[in-house]
Amino acid sequence: MGIYDQTISSGISQLKERELESGGFAPRPRGPYRPEATCWAILALLDDPGSQPLIQRARSRLGASQLPDGRVCLSPDHPEAYWPTSLAVFAWHRSPEFQKNQALAVQFLLTSSGRHWPRRADSPVAHDTSITGWSWIAGTHAWVEPTGLAMMALRIAGYGDHPRMREGARLLLDRQLPHGGWNYGNTAVFGQELRPMPLSTAIALNALKSETPRETVQVSLAYLHQKVATFKTPRSLGWSLLGLGAWQARPLPARDLIYQCLANQERFGDYDTSSLALMLTTWRLRGGLEDIFAGTPRP
Amino acid sequence: MTSEQSQNSTPKKGLTRREFVAMGLGGAALAACGLYLWPRLSRPKWREQTFIGKVPDYRADITGVILSGFKELGISPGEIRGKRILLKPNLVETDLGAIHINTHPAVIHGAGQAFLKLGAAQVIVGEGPGHCRDTLMLLEESGLAAVLWEDRIPFVDLNYDPGYTIRNPGRYSSLTQLTFPETLRQVDWVVSLAKLKTHHWAGVTLSMKNLFGVMPGSYYGWPKNVLHHAGIEGSILDIVYALKPQLAIVDGIVGMEGDGPIMGAPKQAGVLVMGRNLPAVDATCARVMGIDPRRVKYLAAAERFLGPIRETEIVQVGEGVAGVRSPFQLVDFIPAHKALLPLI
Repeated sequence: MGIYDQTISSGISQLKERELESGGFAPRPRGPYRPEATCWAILALLDDPGSQPLIQRARSRLGASQLPDGRVCLSPDHPEAYWPTSLAVFAWHRSPEFQKNQALAVQFLLTSSGRHWPRRADSPVAHDTSITGWSWIAGTHAWVEPTGLAMMALRIAGYGDHPRMREGARLLLDRQLPHGGWNYGNTAVFGQELRPMPLSTAIALNALKSETPRETVQVSLAYLHQKVATFKTPRSLGWSLLGLGAWQARPLPARDLIYQCLANQERFGDYDTSSLALMLTTWRLRGGLEDIFAGTPRP
Repeated sequence: MTSEQSQNSTPKKGLTRREFVAMGLGGAALAACGLYLWPRLSRPKWREQTFIGKVPDYRADITGVILSGFKELGISPGEIRGKRILLKPNLVETDLGAIHINTHPAVIHGAGQAFLKLGAAQVIVGEGPGHCRDTLMLLEESGLAAVLWEDRIPFVDLNYDPGYTIRNPGRYSSLTQLTFPETLRQVDWVVSLAKLKTHHWAGVTLSMKNLFGVMPGSYYGWPKNVLHHAGIEGSILDIVYALKPQLAIVDGIVGMEGDGPIMGAPKQAGVLVMGRNLPAVDATCARVMGIDPRRVKYLAAAERFLGPIRETEIVQVGEGVAGVRSPFQLVDFIPAHKALLPLI
């Protein structure tokens, strides 16, 4: 076994050890259950032959925390924090036992939206506030990452042609920064263009795969491609590889970058469950996140 | 008694129209007077100290300046010994070579060492950045990761910390409850380690506004849009009122002027401002920036119940404000800045 395989194998063991007794995962060892950590752990372990019972327990735990309207929120006493719903659609995908849970979550996504309002000529923000997308938290504005995640979730669930997808793509393109990339979702405020952020850029690129011609996002692909080799942290690196992969632009030394990032735990401390799982998931893929269900071979 | 006498001496029943109007106006005037004076008369008599230390640049002995500040503010080893201290810096975004966006790592290092020298049991650094979900990347790119690694000081990403929810005791915003990160319950002192900056929504961002960063993004979003919709000024007051941090240290060595808190220009002010009372510290900071703190809406409101902002109620130790005042540039087409003009 080579050093890379050893690192991945050790990462998978590390992840499995974090399973909670009652099923599901916490962001940190001995922490409380959290749905987003559970979703990411499921995705990271999907292809691991020994992990199938663990995955079913995690999916059940996720199902138990789903509210009747389909949302999967951070905790039952915080129904407004419904952003993990998109990740749950991924976690339940292609699991017959949880088909109903997934369908319910999809319905929730289709009927929920961020707060939007007519665009005003004197608005200090440059983006079009009237476009419907998705928010992190109920009752707040639509932002780039939750919109991107919801679009990916709807696409794997077979809703790629839904009008909400087109509206979501419109929102993302409207929020693209003129000089390339995306940030959380403001393009310019009081006339000043803001800076791009790798994580937001990568999620938007992954979501826009097959929704828009390449030339409409070329400037952002160039931004991310130029920067990716400098990323040392799991969220930015993992998502950037997925975002570029979705456009067949994954850089060649991807495995070296992932390996190095996992090795950085020596300095940063153990990664949280979602970050660790994201790196392990990225290791298996050449394309975007949805390729996890496409039987894409390991690079 | 004649009928005439009787008529003249009998008290009138009711008031004439003129008397009624006059009395009504008098009553209204009295009420208005009361409404105006009551908050002023009933306002607590404050007396809070703030310390200003001159620090020319980030290579200076910042630990030494903070220890001097502790001494002036009466923060003794006896008070700190055995305490767990959370330092909450302002860590927002990074830009290569920019030292004016975030609390500088040298200031975080200096504060950590000062608390450890006074016998703190543990110093941790915690932040929940409002724009970027990759907090680790911000730590790395800002240079803070290297400093914390060297100092063996742990970092907590407050955005992903488990939350605990309380009823909002202040209700200055529309929020009925507040969710704080669990880490706050595990420390004895919360120190707002802010940056001296202008802010295009709030006017200025100092030790009070810096506390938006303790609210976990998992519950408030990226950006923390729940707080924006509930009212920025009211949310600042609610958080400070509920949390009651023990200390503020503001990094004004290089601050930000113009279109803060992200896109403004560096402004060398050469100061650290410290104190136990956050409105008093922020009022002093505002004066250093050439801004009348009474024009900052949330500071003016804070004066009623959180702390003083008047010069007469702030005991200035260390340097005086006049000696370090360095007016910050404001942007006249930004409404929150326009409200702060003219500079003092």
